[in-house]
Amino acid sequence: MCLGIPMQIVEIDGYNARCEAKGVEREVSLFMLQDDTVAVGDHVMVHVGYALQKLSPQEAQSTWELLDQIVDSQEALS
Amino acid sequence: MSQTSAKTWLALIRELELPRPVKLMNVCGGHERSITFSGIRGALPPDIEIIPGPGCPVCICPEEDLHEAIRLSLEEDIVLVAFGDMLRVPANVPKNEPRSLEQARAAGADIRPIASPQEAVAIARADPDKPVVFFVAGFETTTAPVAAMLAEGVPDNLLILLAARLTWPAVAMLLDSGEAAFDALIAPGHVATVMGPEEWSFVVDKHRMPAAVAGFTPESLLAATYSVLRQTIEGKPFLDNCYPELVRPGGNATAKRWLSEVMEVVPANWRGIGVIADSGFALRPAWQHLDARGVFPAPVEERRRAGQMPPGCDCAGVVLGKIYPDQCRLYGRACTPRNPIGPCMVSDEGACRIWWSSGLREPRVA
Repeated sequence: MCLGIPMQIVEIDGYNARCEAKGVEREVSLFMLQDDTVAVGDHVMVHVGYALQKLSPQEAQSTWELLDQIVDSQEALS
Repeated sequence: MSQTSAKTWLALIRELELPRPVKLMNVCGGHERSITFSGIRGALPPDIEIIPGPGCPVCICPEEDLHEAIRLSLEEDIVLVAFGDMLRVPANVPKNEPRSLEQARAAGADIRPIASPQEAVAIARADPDKPVVFFVAGFETTTAPVAAMLAEGVPDNLLILLAARLTWPAVAMLLDSGEAAFDALIAPGHVATVMGPEEWSFVVDKHRMPAAVAGFTPESLLAATYSVLRQTIEGKPFLDNCYPELVRPGGNATAKRWLSEVMEVVPANWRGIGVIADSGFALRPAWQHLDARGVFPAPVEERRRAGQMPPGCDCAGVVLGKIYPDQCRLYGRACTPRNPIGPCMVSDEGACRIWWSSGLREPRVA
């Protein structure tokens, strides 16, 4: 869904990156950020496995808090 | 902007003196999920409403495309891949036919849910002699990655069945119809991240309606709410950007360049709504050899099947923001996530599914 997940870049290999969020690692494509300067340690907003844009660590943090809140309330209801 | 807390935004909103009740519309399943789960609706003063509008690409995926995906998966020797929430979307079929991709899979079709276009590439590479059809329903946030996947290069056996849509034309259609039942727009944050906020200028320029791009945290959504209310009070609409952390002027230029290189914009059918001008994507000639529709032409009778919602289902009204999910005749009665009648109860971005999963289980008593 369009909510997107902020992830931190752990390793870069060409257009592909290994990214991490909350201890989970995933392959993420940096193809749509190929004209930007992207480095290990940067945060990116990921949607369907593609980084849409870079974002600040603060913004990543507040989005994670939102995702936790949604997951918690869904678990409480199920 | 994100430094201001949700509590502060709410206090600011409560201090406003509105000349009349104001109904905001959001057009993004992610916005709706955040608004519903953070309890924003209940915290707002009663004269401020937020209604979910066209924010679910799976919900408006035309029936003829569903039929085509189901038929290809059953009749051709292929693997069909699609984002997970596409699998349970029901089509209208005679009683003895599979009514969803999930039922086609139970009947023996090789259908695999994926979470990323890169998984489709991996599946095609693993079985190079077999056509792999990637059934794509999505808005710009999904379509741009699919275009990037194609631009980067895919194996020849990866075919695309495209049912992708643009977000803004449905809002333009609603506003042009003169029947729009909302007074201000919360524009989608990640669509604007990719395409740029300027796409939404028409709301302000042509229709003099307040608008603000929002992110997904309660703070950003409340900042956008405050902005459009202030615009309403002052009578000076402008397109505000309450998600500057990601939304930059012009959007993501690289993503847009690949998108326009790979795909062109065409008129497209929206299930239960009809054809909307400039609202769909089609592969450009250089990629047409990967178009599943060209490789496997549909029988003529199939092309004629019209894009209706299931009988009794009010999804079209829900998608267009004309009614709230719990005002549907079937909500919580005949239609639940376990036994969905309409697509809005299936997709994670469907407003009915979101409301249901937040604990709202009862239909509204008329």
